[in-house]
Amino acid sequence: MATLTLENISYVYGPRTPFEIKALDDVSLTVREGSVTGIIGHTGSGKSTLVQLLNGLEKPTHGKVMLDGVDIWEKPREIGKIRFRVGLVMQYPEYQLFEETIRADIAFGPKNMRLSEEEIAYRVKEAADFVGLDPLLLDKSPFDLSGGQKRRAAIAGVMAMKPEVLVLDEPAAGLDPQGRDTILNGIRSYGKKTGSTVIIVSHSMEDMATYCDDIVVMANGKVRLSGTRDEVFAHAKELTEVGLDVPQITRLALLLEERGVCLPGGIYTVEAALKALKPLFQ
Amino acid sequence: MGEFFIHAKDLWYSYEENDRKMPVLRGISIDIRQGEYVAILGHNGSGKSTFAKLLNGILEPEAGALTVADIDLASPELSDDDIFKLRRVVGMVFQNPDNQLVATIVEDDVAFGPENLGVPSAEIRQRVDEALATVGMSAYAKHEPHRLSGGQKQRVAIAGLIAMRPSCMIFDESTAMLDPAGRREVIQTFEKLNREQGITVLTITHYMNEAARADRVIVIDDGRVLADGTPYEIFADPGRLISAGLDVPQCTSLIHALRGEGVKLEGEPITPEECADLICRALEEKKNGNAHA
Repeated sequence: MATLTLENISYVYGPRTPFEIKALDDVSLTVREGSVTGIIGHTGSGKSTLVQLLNGLEKPTHGKVMLDGVDIWEKPREIGKIRFRVGLVMQYPEYQLFEETIRADIAFGPKNMRLSEEEIAYRVKEAADFVGLDPLLLDKSPFDLSGGQKRRAAIAGVMAMKPEVLVLDEPAAGLDPQGRDTILNGIRSYGKKTGSTVIIVSHSMEDMATYCDDIVVMANGKVRLSGTRDEVFAHAKELTEVGLDVPQITRLALLLEERGVCLPGGIYTVEAALKALKPLFQ
Repeated sequence: MGEFFIHAKDLWYSYEENDRKMPVLRGISIDIRQGEYVAILGHNGSGKSTFAKLLNGILEPEAGALTVADIDLASPELSDDDIFKLRRVVGMVFQNPDNQLVATIVEDDVAFGPENLGVPSAEIRQRVDEALATVGMSAYAKHEPHRLSGGQKQRVAIAGLIAMRPSCMIFDESTAMLDPAGRREVIQTFEKLNREQGITVLTITHYMNEAARADRVIVIDDGRVLADGTPYEIFADPGRLISAGLDVPQCTSLIHALRGEGVKLEGEPITPEECADLICRALEEKKNGNAHA
């Protein structure tokens, strides 16, 4: 369990050059401990830069990243330790598999943590379980797996380190609907079973509405909106303005309201819409 | 030209893996006419991208018949010239916007295709300007591609194809890496090309909402065609799609769930607007029904 807080973070690419770009501009944010938090934003809104600051891959130009009240850059030489506590899964992580077997690949992180053989074996099995990877696949080469299976193996490799904060950049990009649901369910259950905080970056409003507790909306390097998913998706107009959208079902609920059909707020899944509409037909 | 722009009959293709043949396309048959707007759905590994790669000669058919723009791609006498001609006629846009641009200036990138075709330079200028105007990127002609957003990069990639005057464009998950605004930009661009210039558009996607906009949806499963019809016909059967690892748009899913609860709703709405119409109509009927009773 860990609380992650960002205090007045700014990040500038190419400072004091003609190409200077302020990717993040005075961002302050607290991610609720144990929550699944989604980060959404248009291309270039700063969300990928933001996630790279969370585990110390990049250092903020100004401001602090606080993990349980301690600045992660307080002891720069020990930044490596932060990477065991905050696990980062980049986009298309399957391209980073490099071991001969899936088992060895998932074990790579825990091995670096100098855990015992038994503990490593246990963690590999547990992580494979979270992402729904068939144990029979563990001794295969990454080359023998499908794209979706490789993606799951790569995510399991970070989960096996049991990070207190798990950060994933577009974990479901390019997957078919079933593969997408398997992975996002696995990620959510990792968070809920271990009590870890999970942060997901995605362009799919439907996925965010289904799997996240809280949502942060980034636009032009700043936090535009943040709150629970109900609070955030209630701002349909503002989301469209910053190049985003609301889930299709929320769009329907808004259309119905315009036409005088009275519905409770916070309709962002098919289940919620069904529950709201059913009584009207009885 | 023959009756169909794309004619595939009993087409087979296998990848080799550890000296074993892994068939990906298992006798697939698809006919597409010039000017159609078709979405292709299928789970990862279903064979949909393999099919697309056969259409512009990146892969060669193993067995069966395949004719694209009157070029017989299954012929043993297929020459490099034929492939060259095919690539001019059938353009492909891929998933990653960062992997498709070759030049350091937007207009040079768009000129790359026609230059390779040996188009006279005055005409290249004209084609580049037209292509950039079509995708709404004229203002960025002198910009560096790497500074553009994902949606803008994909539109430049599309302009590069338009400059070659293709009659068919294939979009292989070209919106997968884009934000919602970028996705809208790309879809609106290819829909315009289809509508105004009659370009045949094939879009391969995992977004059901995108597939629902096409005139025709083809579902590929296990290397064969599982279903082929209008979006209304295809999304009317959520069970079939879900068993193929797919999904239906949220609105369609809601209508089916309401029906499951015994609510009488007629029609197969796909978009939020159609769905709202149907629900309002049904509520109205119910109110009138109650008034009569």
